Amino acid sequence: MSTKSHHDRNHHASIATGIGDPQCFKGKAGKPKFKEGDSVRVKDLPDLFYTRCQVYPRGAVGTVTKLVYESPAAEDEAWDNSENPEWFYSVAFKQKDLWPEYSDAFPNDTLETEFCERWLEKP
Amino acid sequence: MSEHDHKPAPMVDEVSDFEILEMAVRELAIEKGLFSAEDHRIWTEYVHTLGPTPAARLVAKAWLDPEYKKLAVADGVAASKAVGVDWVNSPPTKFGTPSDYCNLRVLEDTPTLKHVVVCTLCSCYPRPILGQSPEWYRTPNYRRRLVRWPRQVLSEFGLQLPPEVQIRVADSNQKTRYMVLPVRPAGTEGWTEDQLTEIVTRDCLIGVAVPKPGVTSNIKLPVHKAVHPVQHGHDH
Repeated sequence: MSTKSHHDRNHHASIATGIGDPQCFKGKAGKPKFKEGDSVRVKDLPDLFYTRCQVYPRGAVGTVTKLVYESPAAEDEAWDNSENPEWFYSVAFKQKDLWPEYSDAFPNDTLETEFCERWLEKP
Repeated sequence: MSEHDHKPAPMVDEVSDFEILEMAVRELAIEKGLFSAEDHRIWTEYVHTLGPTPAARLVAKAWLDPEYKKLAVADGVAASKAVGVDWVNSPPTKFGTPSDYCNLRVLEDTPTLKHVVVCTLCSCYPRPILGQSPEWYRTPNYRRRLVRWPRQVLSEFGLQLPPEVQIRVADSNQKTRYMVLPVRPAGTEGWTEDQLTEIVTRDCLIGVAVPKPGVTSNIKLPVHKAVHPVQHGHDH
């Protein structure tokens, strides 16, 4: 067994070239767990290493507006693991549900952002 | 004090930690042979040729052609091709893509819904179609305040919206990049695509401004001088 590992640093760029990222992962995440219009709660998973899930939406309940694409989670991709693509969801929240002190004068204001499936659960 | 104590003024006012980090990583990457200094130069020059004009034209086209508007909202990457931007194939270096990711969502405003874009994580921005982001877009100030106090931040840009208009902040912290398709303003009836393109400024495409007939440049934000500026002189 070779002790020196070979790592192709451009392999990700090469699979995405001419196709695009996240387009290159299309069809690889299986059946989505949530659909448009579903209520979802953002989990508060441990984030000792890399994450793209901000702290402010954790624990909040929002509505899935769109299934946006399939892709490995950022938490995996950061370690060059693209084996397990997941569905990504765009989720809209009422601002008041994110920030309790948000002004009651503007109850309709919202925020939309994306999560991969592992961060979401049924409320 | 003698003249020998004179200190030269610094060449640059400030270099941020991130700029130092970028230089360090770039130099290491060149030393390791991941790309050459020449690749980096071609890349940088290419990125600086990108501007907000293609996105402005996309908006003007969408205002004029309802079918194109449907395409833009459904598939921003496909709609970009009509304005000369190929998200997937355009980089001259054959190294990656011009943006890190190629998923563009065009957020359509309505008279009762106003979108505004931010990346709270870093400064993700739809560079292939909007060019380089403005400096303020990358500041922690804008990034942390926009998600929480969007109305206050928008009013600092001179945009005050009535309560019946819903503000929707789009935080681009995964692989989607956003641009705003604002409402076509009154007073532009009968305008050509070129005329309409002119009033869709970069700020309108980020969502911190709305297009107005006659306004073809971004707002000049006031610059506040430091209260206690660093003294480089020798007089005190």
